[in-house]
Amino acid sequence: MSLGRVLAIRAVSLAVVLFGVLLMVVLVLGATGVSDRILSAYVNDQLRVIRQDLAQRIRDPGELESALEQYRSELAASYGLDRPWYQRLPQMILNVLTLDLGYSRTITSFTGSSRIADIIAERLPNSIILVTTAVIISALIGMALGVRAAVRAGSRYDRILSLLSSISFALPSWWTGLLFILIFSFYLGLFPFGGLYSAPPPTGTLERLTDILWHATLPVATLVTVIVGGWAYISRTIVINTAKEDFVNVARAKGLPENLIMRRYIIRPSAPPIVTNIVFAISGSIGGAILTETVFNFPGMGRLYYEAITSFDEGLVIALTYLYTLIYIASRFILEILYVILDPRVRL
Amino acid sequence: MAPEWLRIFWSYNVSKAGVILLAFTVLASVYVLTSYPPDFGVRVWNNPGYWADYPKEAPPAWVNLLTAERAPEHIVAVSNTPSSTYTSGSKILTIYELPIFYDFKDYPSFLSLSVGPIEFYQSPPIIEVSVTRPDGQTVTLYTAPVSSIFPGEEPPFKRFTETPLRIYLSGEGEVIQSVQRFLSNSGVRISYEDLVKIGPESIIFQAIGDDALTGNVLRGTYILRAVFQLSSPDDKISWVKAVVGGRVYGLSGTDRVGRDLAAGLLFGFPVALLIGLVTSSLTTVIGSSLGILSGYHGGRLDELIQRIADILNNIPLLPLLIFFTFIFKPSIWLIVLILVAFGWSGLTIVVRSIVLQVKSEQYVEAAVSLGTSSWRIMSRHIFPRIAPFIFAQMIFSTPSAILAEAALSFLGLGDPSLPSWGQILDYSFRSGGVNIGLWWWIIPPGLLIVLTGLTFVLLSLGMEPVVSPRLRRLR
Repeated sequence: MSLGRVLAIRAVSLAVVLFGVLLMVVLVLGATGVSDRILSAYVNDQLRVIRQDLAQRIRDPGELESALEQYRSELAASYGLDRPWYQRLPQMILNVLTLDLGYSRTITSFTGSSRIADIIAERLPNSIILVTTAVIISALIGMALGVRAAVRAGSRYDRILSLLSSISFALPSWWTGLLFILIFSFYLGLFPFGGLYSAPPPTGTLERLTDILWHATLPVATLVTVIVGGWAYISRTIVINTAKEDFVNVARAKGLPENLIMRRYIIRPSAPPIVTNIVFAISGSIGGAILTETVFNFPGMGRLYYEAITSFDEGLVIALTYLYTLIYIASRFILEILYVILDPRVRL
Repeated sequence: MAPEWLRIFWSYNVSKAGVILLAFTVLASVYVLTSYPPDFGVRVWNNPGYWADYPKEAPPAWVNLLTAERAPEHIVAVSNTPSSTYTSGSKILTIYELPIFYDFKDYPSFLSLSVGPIEFYQSPPIIEVSVTRPDGQTVTLYTAPVSSIFPGEEPPFKRFTETPLRIYLSGEGEVIQSVQRFLSNSGVRISYEDLVKIGPESIIFQAIGDDALTGNVLRGTYILRAVFQLSSPDDKISWVKAVVGGRVYGLSGTDRVGRDLAAGLLFGFPVALLIGLVTSSLTTVIGSSLGILSGYHGGRLDELIQRIADILNNIPLLPLLIFFTFIFKPSIWLIVLILVAFGWSGLTIVVRSIVLQVKSEQYVEAAVSLGTSSWRIMSRHIFPRIAPFIFAQMIFSTPSAILAEAALSFLGLGDPSLPSWGQILDYSFRSGGVNIGLWWWIIPPGLLIVLTGLTFVLLSLGMEPVVSPRLRRLR
């Protein structure tokens, strides 16, 4: 099978997943009547504006009401409220697919727009930077620790690392964040309680950058603490398993030097499965990032999710659910490509 | 003689630690199930009235062991029998005396008095509350009829049968005026507004010098007195309770509403176990049976199951959990349902690949050639082979369900009828408990989540060498 074909099959199946999630979200929204509620809220918001406008020109109350009623039915028709929800489904799916996500009722972007697409576009980069930084740092530390433990499997170092990584696995990211705030912000006063900038933000480019780094330290440290254990443990297990392969025994029998065996016969073939685990690392950290951002009031998509939930902004919750799925699936696809490039056996 | 696998399992320290932690968790759950009311969440935990007589945001009482000066502890004095009764004319005076020994550096956080069920026949009893201080001075704090009679009502009149009468002495205008009068008799003038600000309890419990407040607590025994003026000898008062609000409370302190955190933390044990075990066992049963079916049966069915599993395996769980609990009413069963619905796929894929190997082994082929039914082969020959692996997977997947529920609760999407550790943390975060350093409200709930998660991780670490013998000689 060619490389292109393998990737095409994966792309199709991931697209099916994405479409499936979208369909499920839209079906649930329609069947529970939430979609009707959101749309009527939009209509009522617009009617309020129109009423103020009309009241200037039309004095007779009866006439005003009938004019408003006409506007209402026009607006309802334009939003599709006059039709049952299942007839609106195709349009809704199409809107979301083209990233036309509607408007938020409660939250605006930093520039003041209430278009959901604008709000998210502002916050998305912050989230991506946070998660990738944390994943890269934890991957480097975790692999180094894990390989070291695998080389000395059974030693005291190995046992302690196993214990520490199970603790790391059981740590909820958000509680770790709270703990870090309590220790480093409240008691030691080393880092800010949250946010991404000081108020007011410093002016110089360099000062601004250090300000952001200073604010991002605790969130990144939190994510790293939570992810790194899994990395260490998985790398260790994979390296130990590879070390038992026949080709390693053959290399030993040939009398190759031990560090060459380590590098070329053990670590190199361990790379693909370790990379696959980035998939799980990312999937874990996306969830973790929602909560970590919430705790640190970090202006990313996760915090936005929290704000949308607490202010009952249905439109925003739906858009974010969909976008998180999209990001998750896109990152999986990128990793599939990486995997195919790293491990030639997959192509066979 | 213990079976081989048990011996191997028990030979690791992680397993022992896991079993001890599990035993502790189970014991705590059993205690809660036998001693808590079933509607604890609604009637007790989320009912602010229940916690009115508790100090707010008080650290645990054991901090007193670590500090030089003891912070005021919470004092509750109850009396069921009057200390004396007098008759003067047609009036009967029933006196309840509640001695309170107060020996702390700081003033109490509040003062309140509660009266239990009352029965009267003619006119409502009149209550007079006073306090006699260790220096011999008596301050009359409050006088009022305890209730009134509704038009058309027939005696006996029963009052406060459900909720007791609670007089929050620290906030009563009459108490503040009485204390102001008491001070001016001693030559100290203080404005009503200032007195509201510092609270009348800080005067009642303060030593008063010559024409000035000393700023020091007057230590010794105070006697809080409730005098009831009854109009009929048949009138009944059941009990009187005085609460001197502390600044430390219990094993684990209290939160902003005054809830005893130790009670909530204990209740979290069965909730966490319930979510973890129900989810992981359902996930395991569904995942492994579909995996066995898929691997053994093969063909179209295999293809279908694997495609579905693949799709589910690619779905990010937390966003969908948030979505569903947001749209529907948050309930623990909904959370379990979603976790199971989206969680079985990973196990199915792994079990199928193991079954494919087992299927081609000779003993299975022998069973097939004997004409054994598929069902019998799957349940009698294949399942026992992979059972240890499945069991280990079940234990391994338990913490993720507990963590998922905690995360949802933290986002404010928890089941309000079942208080969990995540919900306690949600409230502490939402009300800014972190920023003012209320550590007893933040550290214990999270620590319990970690410990419960760790219990199952340790158990599955101990199971690992049993399941995959390759790892056995490494430790």
